[in-house]
Formats: sequence, structure tokens, C-alpha cells
Amino acid sequence: MMNEYLSILIFLLVSLGLSVIIFFLSYFVAPQKRDPEKVSAYECGFDAFNDARNNFDIRFYLVSILFIIFDLEVAFLFPWAVSLDEIGLFGFGSMFVFLLILTIGFVYEWRKGALDWE
Amino acid sequence: MMSLFVNDFKYVLPEIFCLTAVLVLLVYGVIYSTSSQHGYPILSRNVVWLAVLSLFFTVLLILNQSYLEASIFHNTLIIDFFSQFAKLVILLSAIASLLLSLDYLRSQKINSFEYAILIVLSTLGMLLMVSSYDLISMYLALEFQSLCLYVLAALKRHSEFSTEAGLKYFILGAFSSGILLFGASLVYGFTGMTNLEDLGKLFAGLGYDHSIQSGAVLIGMLLVAVGLLFKVYAVPFHVWVPDVYEGSPTIVTAFFAMTPSLSVLAFFIRFFFSAFYDFLDYWQQMLLFCSIASLIVASLAALSQKKIKRLLAYSAIGHAGYMLIGFASGTPDGIQAMLLYSVVYIMMTLGMFAFILATREQFKGQQIKYISDLNILFKTNPILAFSVALILFSLAGIPPLAGFLSKLYIFFSAVKVSLYFVVVIGVVTSVIGTVYYLRLIQIMYFEKVKAYVTYQQMDRTKSLLLGISCFFILFFMAYPSPLIILTHKAALTLCL
Repeated sequence: MMNEYLSILIFLLVSLGLSVIIFFLSYFVAPQKRDPEKVSAYECGFDAFNDARNNFDIRFYLVSILFIIFDLEVAFLFPWAVSLDEIGLFGFGSMFVFLLILTIGFVYEWRKGALDWE
Repeated sequence: MMSLFVNDFKYVLPEIFCLTAVLVLLVYGVIYSTSSQHGYPILSRNVVWLAVLSLFFTVLLILNQSYLEASIFHNTLIIDFFSQFAKLVILLSAIASLLLSLDYLRSQKINSFEYAILIVLSTLGMLLMVSSYDLISMYLALEFQSLCLYVLAALKRHSEFSTEAGLKYFILGAFSSGILLFGASLVYGFTGMTNLEDLGKLFAGLGYDHSIQSGAVLIGMLLVAVGLLFKVYAVPFHVWVPDVYEGSPTIVTAFFAMTPSLSVLAFFIRFFFSAFYDFLDYWQQMLLFCSIASLIVASLAALSQKKIKRLLAYSAIGHAGYMLIGFASGTPDGIQAMLLYSVVYIMMTLGMFAFILATREQFKGQQIKYISDLNILFKTNPILAFSVALILFSLAGIPPLAGFLSKLYIFFSAVKVSLYFVVVIGVVTSVIGTVYYLRLIQIMYFEKVKAYVTYQQMDRTKSLLLGISCFFILFFMAYPSPLIILTHKAALTLCL
């Protein structure tokens, strides 16, 4: 059982090593000539117009909250999906009650306009 | 599988109804309030009335259940007279707090119908909490209830105070839930069971065994108790209460004051009486410490309060101290006294908050904040002043009123098991407490008038609720037997 994860760990280490090699290779192989124009922020060729601070848009927050909720829903769906032949109609019905409650939450979000992104 | 649960759903019919009703209300509310054909109607009061209706039907369903006791869903939920009694009290107080809020929603322009939805959802969590018989179901119900309360505390999102209250409540609530969960995991880790009945069987007669296992279980029990004491406003864990009471919108404060602590207390009692009764020596000391601390801190801190809601927060802490005395005595008498006390306390708080919500300045429509704002109430509204004085006398425990009888019962139950010290502290702090209750009366009746403040008229629902509360307080001593018999029966079903 754990052997399957061992190969994944080795795979992770190998890919980490490979990416480190590739990243640092560019320092050694490519020519490095720095000047102020090169390291300044790129804004379509102009100098920066105004302050970099912006109001944070609440919609990003809403989307991430919704993602957490529905991600959790999927986490509950996995064991249900693999054990459907054992839990029968009762398990099927229970999950549908769960999904119904989540759907009502979804209807609420939809009507409230949490998913609008004009 | 199907036949396993086929009867269980009949037992939770009230909860199923309540959940279905609130889901329907949510869909109704969101569809109508966002519909442009109907001109985006403001549904807050409408949904409050419908929520009152659905809670009322839940009450009817609980009253008409035909069985006495049942343990359902693999022993995770239990239904007996105790839980039914606590559920009825919780539902009725939730209905009362919804009715209190009607006028406030309009005057403060709180246009979100979610207020009522959240109240009903948290009430549903409380119903489940009261009847939970397992640490897992308890934790889930507690979080269900608390999550709704966090959102409610931050209901007025444009007000800094409300946001702050919501944040404080959330952080401390999550912290206390974490402690509780750690305690529960210790209990589970060292016994392998989460069910209260199983735990009770395991610990029967084990109370004085000082092996390592029971020591770790003891710590687990202690941490669960700490988590629950956080939620019943007991003293070393009370720091959040005044801020949350002060910052939250007053209708939400009224709900906090009346409803949630009884649900937590009900599970708390069941936890100690069915699972950890044999550790009585340990938890009794802990509860006595908390109750003495609550009594002292509340009575001293309330003396220097200038704002009404903060004063009531300290008063709530003090009353939690009295309830814990009854609990700590560890007898059916004590539990009966505690239940009686909590019902009387809910009635008194109901009247008090009906009064606070009703006193709005006539022209500005502002809710009054400071105690000194009341200084002309006796002249502008003598009947209101009289009824508030009645409630305050009862909170202080002056003889012919309900508060006196309930305090007396608490002290009797503690004297019966020779807890003299806590009774002495209780009586002394009750006398100190009289000072700040009387100070309010003094301000209303005898203070020199500084500025004339006139108040808006009270609306009908609030005046009815205030009337009911005053009637109960005034005449409870004349005919206390129904409530005494009910609480006695509830305490007996739990303890025997």
C-alpha cells in the first residue's frame, strides 16, 4: 500500500531536482546584463500611471468561498460513488437529500447574483 | 439498511419539518426579493412572520409526539422528556425573539430576510444539540448553531461595532470549539467510544481509579467542559460576552441572551449525568469554581457599567453563575432548580429586551444606549417604568416575584448537598447585584431631569410580550406548580 506512495515521493523529488537544475541553468548558460530599464515594471512601455494599490474585488472572495463549499461536496461524493452498490437505495436517497440542500444553497447564490461576472 | 432507520425518521419529524420549512423560506425569500417584476420587495418582516409560523408548527409537532423515550440513529440522538422540555423552551424563546425583532427590522432598515432564516437554522441546531447523545452529533449540532450565531452577530455589516462583535464572537467561538473537540478526541482516544451511554457504562464505578487512562479521560472531560463553559458565559471564559452583547444588533443580542445557552446547558447536563457522573468529585469542583467566579465577577463588574446592554451582559454572566450552582449540586433537585431558573430567566430577559428595543427616541429613532438616558421614563411612560421596575426587582430576586422563587430553589438544592460556601457567596453577590438593578430604578424614578427625552410608542407584539413577561413574573409565585412539576419530571427523566 505505502509502496505506491513511495514512487510518488521519488517522482516528486526527481521533478523538484529537474526544475531546480533547469532554473539555475539559465543563470549559467544565458548571458546576464542588468540595467535599470530591464528590471523596472512593464506596463505596456509607459511609466506606471498611478499607485499600485487597488480595491480588492469581493467577487474573487465569493468565488473562492463557493469553490470551497463545492469542493467539500465533491469530497463527500467520492466515497458515495464508489460504494453505491453496497448502500442501496437508502444511501442513494441520503445523498440526494444532501445534494438537494446544497442545490438550494446554489439557488440562493444564483438569485443573489454571486455568480454574475459582468 | 432501509429497515434500520425506517422508524427513526418519525421521531425527528419536528426537526425535519423545521428544516424543510426553512429551506422553502430561503428559496421563497431569495426569489421574491430579487425579482424585478415585483419591484425588489423587502421581505424581512414577511419572512419573520413565516419563520414564526414554522417554529410554531414545530412546537405543535413536538407537543403531539406520542412516544415517551427513544434513542435513534444508532444512539446518536435521544428523545426523552428532558429533551422535549428543553426543545419547547428553546422554540418558544426563539419565537419570542423573532416577534421582538419585527419593529426593529423596519426602524433600523435591516432589509435582509436572512435574519429570520438564520434564527430558525440556529434554533434547529439547538434542537439537535439538546437531543444529541453522542460527542460527534453534539459537536456537529453545536457548530451548526454557532455558525449561524456568528453571522447573526455581524448582521449590520455597515456598523463597525457589529462587525467587531461578529469577529470576536467567531474567533473565541472557534477557539472554544477547538478546545472542546480536542477534549472529545482525548475521550475517544482513550476509551474508543463517543457515545454517552457507552461512556457512562464504562465509567460506572470507575470514578476513584487513578490509572493513567482515567487521568487522560479526565483531561478530555475537562476540556469538553471548558468548551461548553465558553458557550454558557461562565466566568474565566466570559471575556467576549460584554463586547458581543454590546456590538451586535439589539434583536440579535436578545436572541443570544434568551436562547442558545439553554441548549448548551442541556447537553452539558446530559454529558455529565449520563457519561461522567462517576467523576462527580472532579467536575463538581470545576463547576463550583466557575459559578463562584461568575457570581463575583459579574456582580462587581456590573456596578460600573454605563451602557444598558453591557450591564445586561454582566447580569447574564451572573445568572449563568446561579444556574451552575444548581448544576454543580449534582442532584435531580439541582437540575430541576436549574431548569426552573433558566425558564424564569428567559421570561425576565424577554421583558427586559422588549423594553430595551421599545425605548427609541421619538424624533431621531435612535435606540437608547446609556443607562442615564432613562432618567425621565417614570414621567413620560409610567406603566413602562413600572413594568421594567418589576422585571428588575425580579432579576435582583425580591420576594413576591418569580426571580426570587427560582433563586430560592437553587440555594435549597445546594444546601441539601451541603455546598454552604457557594450559597453564602450566592446570597452576598445577589445583594450586591441588587445595587445595580436598583440603580436603574433609581434613575428611572428619582433622578433629576437633565434633558427631556421622549420615546416612541411600543408596537403591539412587543407590548404583548412585555405584558406576558410581567404577568409571569408577578403571578408565578401564586401558581408555580405546573412549571415545578414539568421541570421536576424533566430532571427525573434525565437523572434516573
